[in-house]
Amino acid sequence: MSAAVQTLDISPVGRVEGDLDVRVDIQNGVVVNAWTQAELFRGFEVILRDKDPQAGLVVTPRACGICGASHLTCAAWALDTAWKAEVPRNAILARNLGQIVESLQSLPRHHYGLFMIDYTHKNYSHSKYYEEAVKRWSPFTGTNYELGVTISGRPVEIYALLGGQWPHSSYMVPGGVMCAPTLTDVTRAWSILEHFRRNWMEPVWLGCSFERYEQIQSYDDFMAWLDERPEHANSDLGMFWRMSLDVGVDKYGQGHGKYVSWGYLPHEDKYNRPTIEGRNSAVLMKSGVYDGASDTHKLMDQVYTREDLRHAWYDEPGGMHPFERVTKPVGKNPVDYDNKYSWSVAVRHDQNGRLEAGPLARQLIAGGTHGESWQHFDPLVLDMYKKLGGASVMLRHFARMHEGVKLYRQAEHALREFRLNDPWYVKPTEKDGKGWGATEAIRGALCHWIEVQGGKIKNYQIIAPTTWNVGPRSDGGELGPIEQALIGTPIADMNDPVEVGHVCRSYDSCLVCTVHAHDANTGEELARFRTA
Amino acid sequence: MANLLWLQGGACSGNTMSFLNAEEPSACDLVTDFGINVLWHPSLGLELGDNLKKLLNALTSGQMPLDIFVFEGTVVNAPNGTGEWNRFAGRAMRDWVSDLCKVANFVVAVGDCATWGGIPATAPNPSESQGLQFLKRDQGGFLGKDYKSKAGLPVINIPGCPAHPDWITQIVVAVATGRAGDLTLDEFQRPKTFFTSFTQTGCTRNMHFAYKVSATEFGQRKGCLFYDLGCRGPMTHSPCNRVLWNRQSSKTRAGMPCMGCTEPEFPFFDLAPGTVFKTQTVMGVPKDMPSGVDKTGYIKLTAAAKAASPRWAEEDIFVV
Ligand code: SF4
Ligand code: SF4
Repeated sequence: MSAAVQTLDISPVGRVEGDLDVRVDIQNGVVVNAWTQAELFRGFEVILRDKDPQAGLVVTPRACGICGASHLTCAAWALDTAWKAEVPRNAILARNLGQIVESLQSLPRHHYGLFMIDYTHKNYSHSKYYEEAVKRWSPFTGTNYELGVTISGRPVEIYALLGGQWPHSSYMVPGGVMCAPTLTDVTRAWSILEHFRRNWMEPVWLGCSFERYEQIQSYDDFMAWLDERPEHANSDLGMFWRMSLDVGVDKYGQGHGKYVSWGYLPHEDKYNRPTIEGRNSAVLMKSGVYDGASDTHKLMDQVYTREDLRHAWYDEPGGMHPFERVTKPVGKNPVDYDNKYSWSVAVRHDQNGRLEAGPLARQLIAGGTHGESWQHFDPLVLDMYKKLGGASVMLRHFARMHEGVKLYRQAEHALREFRLNDPWYVKPTEKDGKGWGATEAIRGALCHWIEVQGGKIKNYQIIAPTTWNVGPRSDGGELGPIEQALIGTPIADMNDPVEVGHVCRSYDSCLVCTVHAHDANTGEELARFRTA
Repeated sequence: MANLLWLQGGACSGNTMSFLNAEEPSACDLVTDFGINVLWHPSLGLELGDNLKKLLNALTSGQMPLDIFVFEGTVVNAPNGTGEWNRFAGRAMRDWVSDLCKVANFVVAVGDCATWGGIPATAPNPSESQGLQFLKRDQGGFLGKDYKSKAGLPVINIPGCPAHPDWITQIVVAVATGRAGDLTLDEFQRPKTFFTSFTQTGCTRNMHFAYKVSATEFGQRKGCLFYDLGCRGPMTHSPCNRVLWNRQSSKTRAGMPCMGCTEPEFPFFDLAPGTVFKTQTVMGVPKDMPSGVDKTGYIKLTAAAKAASPRWAEEDIFVV
């Protein structure tokens, strides 16, 4: 006897930005099919058409207020490549620093505000860690919640020193940056960083010094670290790890097993004459595609990018490279799971199909030996991935938080390397051309393509990390990364599918999500939940 | 205990992110110190598996009181006035907004999108976006110009792209603690306490403005950004240089021209070619004059200022 399939429609899933609806089919308490559906269209690419070439610097940070610095970075590098600008080393460092502090801000904000609060859910009241979880992580009132959410505002004070405010400054411009920090700006930035480290990263998050944490190079090292001292086991990282195992979020949320990163943080002396082709060999954090099944790493090149529109609400042929897109939204957007059901396109790699973007992808790629010898290498998460048998909600979230120390070190590097009396900006000559700017926002691969013609924007295209991850099915029926990761998720309580929220939030998709519950056989709606 | 509901329409979450930077009071303080009951917020709060629609229905039917309705983002009307391009909890967001505004005691529009339409409403406005009670400079917007919330106030507009966290928390606390009577609003329904002075008020480049010394390019520590780089500081009502951003700075202090984001026209000139970060001039005279200054006055002032300009004005006064 096969159990009836029940469909759960979650709308909105919540605690992410924008609007995401998720539909899941459930059989024997396990998700057997899933659809992710982006429910908001603002048309930024349409707005940018025919505008000033620099309009992207103003408009695209507003595409996402959570990772606006990353959009600004892409917008600036895209114009730099189109205009063949020269970018002085101070400016590269200042752009990197801005992006890094935005990411540092996002770590505690996502960790406490969006992710850990689910561990206080009554579903887990049987866990031996539950009482402690409630004490630490309850929204607004939890001890570490309040500390973490409040201190998350500090790193972006450094952004304000560079660009005047966070979010939504446009201080990165083709040819460099608008600011010229002074010695006091630099020393102030240092003290802000130190405050963040001494009051949250070391005592609360890690329970140890950066130096101790940096010694962890493998899964075994990590487990030894966990047992080494009570401060480690009881830190938020230690507690997160132990409770994750206890409540089983290490057992689902696997996904495709194929990953992408554009790489990021251009080296201050290697990308002063930026070109699209030269980027891979100029970024500190290397780009790549990792295939977990064959355990192979390759460099990523933007020419492989394709957008499938078969299940997305656009009236255009599919399978095009972003330079070929025109962004033509459909007039009417009814939800039809056999046809079109999302504003998100299905992004794919010309040769490798669907790919997952995000911090886990970055860390798996950081473990590859492809790329240049001077580029960043970190084997830890790749080792965990292999030993733990692939991805999971737990590993994806761990990878996100693991990056904090490394980013912090890069922020220190920028502050140390600024040459305050050297130029911050070299005025470029405006010209027509095609440009591409990419980076890694905290939640994954982000890039902009621009074509300037006749002194105005002919085409502007953005592919955000969420576009990779929440995309609907592809032309060939392959599931989107989150759709795929939802498969196999156990649902303890149909009336309260917290597990679906875990999977979505482990991707930190920049959409607000919703789940709707249906009986797939009768089509009858059972319930509708938000998972926030 | 004031019930607060915060929803997002055509938004980027920038105002939410800005709000989380608040320190006195912080977002957590609103709950723990001021007893504000955050019923739902798109990126905060727990209530897993809760039936949001039920909650929204309880509010719209009057079963549960809605003291403060905060809206971030535009009201999306596309396609063709249906709002289907922005669905939320199974329904066009615009329909939720319309119902919630009928029962709310106070309605607070946070950020440019909710106040005037902001970036999404920039031509050609593909999402047919509107602000709650304005579209750009025109009063009316989604709710109509006669709209008043149950407490008898029009929508309280806190513009800015994003709004500064202190502007948000201060107004929310004022309303939640019964001080709404002290709020005075200007013609664009902005609280006067914030939006009467100019961005330029308190700008560290003010002395350069006075002596007409220009920052001719980016990355310069001296010079005013008005003459060449398109700064709108003298024409923009905002306290950005009085209530600093992230406790540290402001755009103009850091060297970025003010784009006038608290004014209904933002983004100015609809970002037409040639208008971004470049002062628009007619025969060498800026097209948009500092508020209250006419062209003849400006030309005279300029000549005098240039003649009187001290030597230090051309030097790097914010020295490394
Ligand atoms: S930089 Fe802008 S705000 Fe500052 S003085 Fe000049 S015009 Fe005014
Ligand atoms: S300085 Fe101008 S553009 Fe910047 S936030 Fe203030 S009003 Fe907006």
